[in-house]
Amino acid sequence: MSRCPRPIFFSLVFTGLALAMLSGVLLGPVAIPLTALLEAVATSFAATPASVDPELQRQLLILSAIRLPRMLLAALVGACLALCGAAMQGLFRNPLADPTLIGVSAGASLGASLVIVLAPALLGSGAMGGVLAATLSLSLMVVGAFVGGCLAVLLVYRLATAPGVGAPGSTSIATMLLAGIAISALAGAGNSLLSFYADNEMLRRISLWQMGRLDGADWPRVGLATAVLSLLLVGLLGQGRALNALLLGESQARYLGIEVEHLKRRVILLTALGVGVTVAVAGSIVFVGLVVPHMVRLVIGPDHRFLLPASTLLGAALLVVADVLSRLVVAPAELPVGVVTALLGVPFFFSLLVRQRNGGV
Amino acid sequence: MLKRYLSGLLLVGALTCCAQLAAEEVAVVDGRGTTVRLPQPAQRIVSMAPHLTEQLFAVGAGGQIVATVDYSDYPPAALSIPRIGSNNAISYESIVGLAPDLVLAWQSGNGGEMIARLESLGLTVFVDVPDSLAAIGATLGKLGRLAGTEREAERVQLQYQSKLAELRRLYSRQRPQSVFYQVWDDPLLTLNGEHVISEVIRLCGGRNVFASALPLVPKLSVESVIAANPQVIIASGEEHQRRAWLKDWQTWPMLDAVKSQRLYFVPASLLQRHSPRILEGAELLCRQLQAEHHSGPQPGFRAGGE
Repeated sequence: MSRCPRPIFFSLVFTGLALAMLSGVLLGPVAIPLTALLEAVATSFAATPASVDPELQRQLLILSAIRLPRMLLAALVGACLALCGAAMQGLFRNPLADPTLIGVSAGASLGASLVIVLAPALLGSGAMGGVLAATLSLSLMVVGAFVGGCLAVLLVYRLATAPGVGAPGSTSIATMLLAGIAISALAGAGNSLLSFYADNEMLRRISLWQMGRLDGADWPRVGLATAVLSLLLVGLLGQGRALNALLLGESQARYLGIEVEHLKRRVILLTALGVGVTVAVAGSIVFVGLVVPHMVRLVIGPDHRFLLPASTLLGAALLVVADVLSRLVVAPAELPVGVVTALLGVPFFFSLLVRQRNGGV
Repeated sequence: MLKRYLSGLLLVGALTCCAQLAAEEVAVVDGRGTTVRLPQPAQRIVSMAPHLTEQLFAVGAGGQIVATVDYSDYPPAALSIPRIGSNNAISYESIVGLAPDLVLAWQSGNGGEMIARLESLGLTVFVDVPDSLAAIGATLGKLGRLAGTEREAERVQLQYQSKLAELRRLYSRQRPQSVFYQVWDDPLLTLNGEHVISEVIRLCGGRNVFASALPLVPKLSVESVIAANPQVIIASGEEHQRRAWLKDWQTWPMLDAVKSQRLYFVPASLLQRHSPRILEGAELLCRQLQAEHHSGPQPGFRAGGE
């Protein structure tokens, strides 16, 4: 296959991301002209909002309190999912290891549901009000989602790489996907069971897991997602060479001087954290972690040193575009963004399955 | 002298100005117990629930609605109002873009997160908590004050309250009969005692057999209905579902309600909306519950083949 030179690919992805982000801010059910955007930037520097006319003020509010945090959250969640997907596929040495397919999102959602239902009992219901309580419950949800996601990755990894399962030196695809099905079923049952003990407000949050959405985007969520993505970037981008070595198998990687156990722990913890935070802020958004690394691999090849950063950028661009579509297709109403990514991702997944069966990916 | 005259003039001016302000400012306590204040009656209202749209039309403020949500289909004039989503998925951006001076939200339908978000965007939100028949009447008056149609609202509210009192006087002291209220047939759904429809059943001298169920909308098996053995079954749903739903119960002749053919139907739109129409539904339900109870089964209700 003819591959596109990496510098060209990276500059294309950068341009795409910039265009996507611009469209994320400019497009929406309320028409806001580019001049208003420029004026918004100008007035935010001038800092005299009192003199602005009410129409412009409303446009500024829409831009600063709705579109900007939402576009940023879409970019952060997309980047997080794609990076986690790429890293997980490296760990499993299998391109089908997507956080939603192998049950990590489901495990995270069960953990978060448990926190939602149990938190009022633990914290004393409604004692605190406002922003503090909201931020605290959001952080608790992230912790719950992280623990749930961690347990799910560990379980799937243990099962799929157990000796005697699959070809030596690789993970068993069947076991990996079946374990994912089992964990998803368990999480589904758990969420349904918990819904009997949840009040209306809790039910609403639990139902978020079924189809991810970004309309709850606000600055605290953006802050949290930024913090976690930074952690992931610091912890994972430097592991490209090690993940490349791991592709040869664990013992080969060890001969090459890679601390395999350390690498595995790091990838498992960080991907669980990344998936956990996306579940807590936006619910389960499927297939981004599968489709994006795949597209990157097709164009610049499987070298993790470039695959990880490129997936991060492309994931951000893809989810921003998907979110813009979800806002425009049935405007002024909205589709959950998970519907858009699922519609884009499912055909892709089937084509991958067919190719795996035919022997090569 | 001139100075005194001028200051007197100023004082009078200030007083009239303040009096005018006080007359125009509106303050109403909403379902959460929060005081909702408006500098003047609302002219651009966003209604986030079908029953709130209906209530606004009832108090003569339907023309002030600039946007509403799906299923706002009554009165027919409501159909031409622009939509901004459904009760649990709306476009915040569209709402802000419409520049409403008041947003009406429904606590259990829209959810606290959506309400908090709307308030954080600087919008004034009135939250309705229609958990009793009395609360539905009270909302009528409050909406009238917020929309500046107090007189019409007071009239409608009084009408509502007197009808409620009359139904209570006529029906609520009857010997209680056990009632199964069927929200949906497949899956079989009912409502527990916290729902306002349970209050309607009590009002009519009935007793909801699933009042003590844990979820607000319990999912049931036919077996649990057989175990509860209600004296009366009331199906909701749309008119076209009526025949099929009621016919299905004939499969279970051991039910008291089937033996005495006390299977009735009340259109969902009359009972399941928290609007003044709920009393129409209540009246229908009360009549059905009590008519045969005293006069014995009417042949017209029998499903033939005797």
